[in-house]
Amino acid sequence: MKGFTTKALHTRYPKKDVHGALRPPLYDSVAFEFESAERIQEAFEGKLPAHTYSRISNPTVEDFETKIRVLTGSRGVIALSSGMAAITNVMLALCSAGSNIVSSRHLFGNTISLFEKTLGDWGLEVRYADMNNPGSIESRIDEETRVLYLETITNPQLEVADISVVSACAERAGIPLVLDGTLTTPYLFSSRDYGVAVEVVSTTKYVSGGATGVGGIIIDNGLFDWSRSSKISPLTGQYGQFAFLAKLRREVFRNSGSCMAPHHAWMNTLGLETLALRIQKSCDNAMEIARFLAGQEKIRGVNYPGLPTSQSHAVAARQFNGRFGGLVAFELEDREQCFRFIDSLGIIRNATNLNDNKSLIIHPASTIFSEYSVQERRDMGIADNMLRLSVGIEELEDLTDDIKNGIESI
Amino acid sequence: MIMKLTINGEKKEVVSESMTVKELLAQQGVEMPGMVSVQINGDFLERDAFDSRIVKEGDEIDFLYFMGGGGSA
Repeated sequence: MKGFTTKALHTRYPKKDVHGALRPPLYDSVAFEFESAERIQEAFEGKLPAHTYSRISNPTVEDFETKIRVLTGSRGVIALSSGMAAITNVMLALCSAGSNIVSSRHLFGNTISLFEKTLGDWGLEVRYADMNNPGSIESRIDEETRVLYLETITNPQLEVADISVVSACAERAGIPLVLDGTLTTPYLFSSRDYGVAVEVVSTTKYVSGGATGVGGIIIDNGLFDWSRSSKISPLTGQYGQFAFLAKLRREVFRNSGSCMAPHHAWMNTLGLETLALRIQKSCDNAMEIARFLAGQEKIRGVNYPGLPTSQSHAVAARQFNGRFGGLVAFELEDREQCFRFIDSLGIIRNATNLNDNKSLIIHPASTIFSEYSVQERRDMGIADNMLRLSVGIEELEDLTDDIKNGIESI
Repeated sequence: MIMKLTINGEKKEVVSESMTVKELLAQQGVEMPGMVSVQINGDFLERDAFDSRIVKEGDEIDFLYFMGGGGSA
């Protein structure tokens, strides 16, 4: 099998279903029974291919993880309760008090909050660098740096770094590059081909098939030598290059209770089957809407990596197989105009998710980034007159008609 | 020739002139061999060495499973 969708449809569950069900059933069970005390002991020791307790592993979740592993050609995958849980687990596994990470400053607002506040309180330092400038990155790395971190497309600034350049910096420093690929998913961007050690994805977005459930994944691409990681290296003798996955599965993930619900895994697996079709439509719509907005007098500026005016256009075209994602950002006169625009829309919904099947709009400064000061927002590239539009899979004409209503309202 | 091995903590005798880890997995009837990871004498054995690593007298061999998508070595 070569094609993404073919693999999503036909990667088989490792155990044959007793009824021959074509779609693996939903195992919404917490615990699994064993025929003897000896067998459950073997399962706890990892000497039996059996699930014991769904906080640690579950057949339906395993099916989803396995499909992602096959789709990405990675070493292994762990599915979690959310994209934020995925980021948190990676950081807890790789970092400790007194260590630091080097990151892009332009990140999802909750990720910044996690790094600076939640993990900052436990002694992690975050150092911000310009991901388009290798000198800026390398000048911030020292012997206590554990991770280099960025997003494929920053949200909502919609900047795209040359990830092969960033991964080369990580390789020279001997640290893993951790990348949030939520806005691209493994369909638009093969992080393994660009030297990314670990990819995290919020499956809540494109993958889930229409915002059906909150979830996340951690993908170990199998590229990083974990003996170079101070926290993982003690496990490499026992687990080889599975040491990072073992650290998660047998400790951090297990102990933090970050598991994906089986129901969500089942919906995510279903979502994978149509992921390519939905992303194609979303990206095609976004491209046309960005062009439409760029031609409107009342729109002060349009930011979309697919437009030649975007500083990220060339690198995005090269990295993302000729598509540019489903997010479009644009600027009006001020916050009041943004609110009027949002309130005049009929089809495009005012909600804080993205890459849903439905088109969604939000004013980032007053919502996702509201916990930050005006100056902090400015540093993050969050303008008060900016709207973020997540373009769905509706018919294009309905979306442009709705946007025309918004423009007439301002 | 009879070889004495310790497999998953249990003393076993295996009849063979020469046997790879892959052959041992088959002979022992290990469940879901595509999902198993192998440690020999406490060291992790990469999957691509399964059909070249020869089992030796006295080896302590553990077959381990990572249940989940990280389960396949």
